[in-house]
Amino acid sequence: MPDAISLRTTAKSGEAKASSRATLADPRRATRLVLAIFLGPALLVYCGLTAYPAFRTIYDSFFTIEGMDATFVGLANYRDLMGDETFWVAVRNTFIWSFVAPVIDVATGLLLALALYAGVPFARFLRVAWFTPVLLSYVVVAILWMWIYNYDWGVLNVMLRAVGLGDLASSWLGDPNLALAAVIVTHAWKWAGFNMVVCLAAIHSLPKEVLEASDLDNCGWGAKLRYIIVPMLRPTLLSLYILSFIGKMKVFDLVWIMTQGGPLWATETVSTYVYKRAFNWNTFDLGYPSAIATVWFLVVCAAVIILNRVLGSRERLEY
Amino acid sequence: MAAFLAAASGRAPLPRLFSRGILALVLGVYTIYQLGPFLWLATMSVRTTAEISADPYAWPSPMHLDQFRTAWVDSDFATYFWNSTMVVVGAVAVLTFIGAAAAHALARYRFRGNRLIYGILFSSIIFPPQITLISLYQILVDYNLYNSLFGLALVYISLQLPLTVYLLEGFFARIPQDLFDAAKMDGYGDLEIFWRIVLPVGMPAIATTLILNFIQLWNEFLFAVVLITDPDKRTLPIGIRAFMGDHFQDIGMIATGVMISVIPVIVVYVFFSEKLIRGMTAGAIK
Repeated sequence: MPDAISLRTTAKSGEAKASSRATLADPRRATRLVLAIFLGPALLVYCGLTAYPAFRTIYDSFFTIEGMDATFVGLANYRDLMGDETFWVAVRNTFIWSFVAPVIDVATGLLLALALYAGVPFARFLRVAWFTPVLLSYVVVAILWMWIYNYDWGVLNVMLRAVGLGDLASSWLGDPNLALAAVIVTHAWKWAGFNMVVCLAAIHSLPKEVLEASDLDNCGWGAKLRYIIVPMLRPTLLSLYILSFIGKMKVFDLVWIMTQGGPLWATETVSTYVYKRAFNWNTFDLGYPSAIATVWFLVVCAAVIILNRVLGSRERLEY
Repeated sequence: MAAFLAAASGRAPLPRLFSRGILALVLGVYTIYQLGPFLWLATMSVRTTAEISADPYAWPSPMHLDQFRTAWVDSDFATYFWNSTMVVVGAVAVLTFIGAAAAHALARYRFRGNRLIYGILFSSIIFPPQITLISLYQILVDYNLYNSLFGLALVYISLQLPLTVYLLEGFFARIPQDLFDAAKMDGYGDLEIFWRIVLPVGMPAIATTLILNFIQLWNEFLFAVVLITDPDKRTLPIGIRAFMGDHFQDIGMIATGVMISVIPVIVVYVFFSEKLIRGMTAGAIK
């Protein structure tokens, strides 16, 4: 028996020696302790403030939670959700926004990038200038555009009246038929510069020979765009589309400040509806909004996976 | 043949000049569209509300720079500004440090679960914020961190962590291994390597994430509006919104407040525009 123990300890110390030798020999290995020091804080933050809350939201969605009291209700929240008309309006608006707006975003981005690539003067200045709105917060953008859309003195109506189209002047954010489009335009305004910069970087990284060869062949800009640039930029454009799509599925700030989802739910998005149900209406139940958040979480993940598959993008994504 | 060529070369400049003109016009109009609103805001921020209602588009004369003093002192924007500064600077400092450490471990060491951890961190980038929002509210209430700037800073760290690790991992992985082998041979420990090689060599990338995180958190609205209710603890975005709710008609003062929140971002942008643009592009597509 003692022999066995001593054997085991010697074996262990032998192992320890071997492993310490291995760390010396292979700089790509590190001891558990070192890894824990490097990864520990980040994983702690991730588990405590991202993973745990996410699971808790999913768990909460099976309860009715009023203050400290949680009552188990099973799938009742989800059943209510299926019959909740406002939720479906919000889903419809968010989907319109998420599928249509990215096309506008990517197309403007590409065209702007091409203009800069074609060698217009002041290209550097223009690039920096067009990128500025990306850096403004949604609060700033929302306030600015509320003024631009103002019925009495907003830029848009003032210009329409100035050119004699006064009849077209309208209350852009107050009309249920126009409000969603007005908010979408604002969002596109903010992000155009971002798409432009990404497209420009991608165009610059295209192999020069191909573009030069097309120049020699007297290829016009239209043909160049259609047969060379767009096909070669395909992965970038698709990534941008998906990126923009994800951004729109999450959109909250802009809508919340500009219209609060109104008028008549015309700009209600899923995010604003969750917020309303959780913190704004005096329903005092956190279970139901948790159910909406859970459903939406699954929808976003599924949509991203499907889009990635369908569009066949091999690029890695972000946001 | 020769005649055709001559005709072609003789005719070419005119349409080209024309299309150049059109292009310049379109780009000019587009630049006004992108920059105009901001410049309009800048003029309004130095005009009084009375002047703005008389003519919203007039040039500011005289310039009412004292509006900034009024906003800063009388309208609590100083409080909002310092709250924002504390939360964002604190969060970004911690975030950069723990993000860089994690990115280094993931980029440099081979160990079981490396790609799994990376994948989990990375995939959370697409999460809609609501999935954590409601529970974070409950958790912060439980731990007495609700309505506290410290709690908000903690949440901000978690919000930007995946992006930070993702960007830095990509950069750190490209630092040549030879550098590390040499350091090991010189007897550097793992922590020393991080401290004396990875951080200095990775400084350009770290600076990029620093600026990016600063701007994104400076502009953050959703979590701040949920987690902070005390007027003394408002950050700039929710402070501006609250001010707007109370003084809907006071356009001049709102514009001044908005300007106060934008100036730091513009200053950073003026100095680091290339870095920032590159950072955001790298974040988008690798």
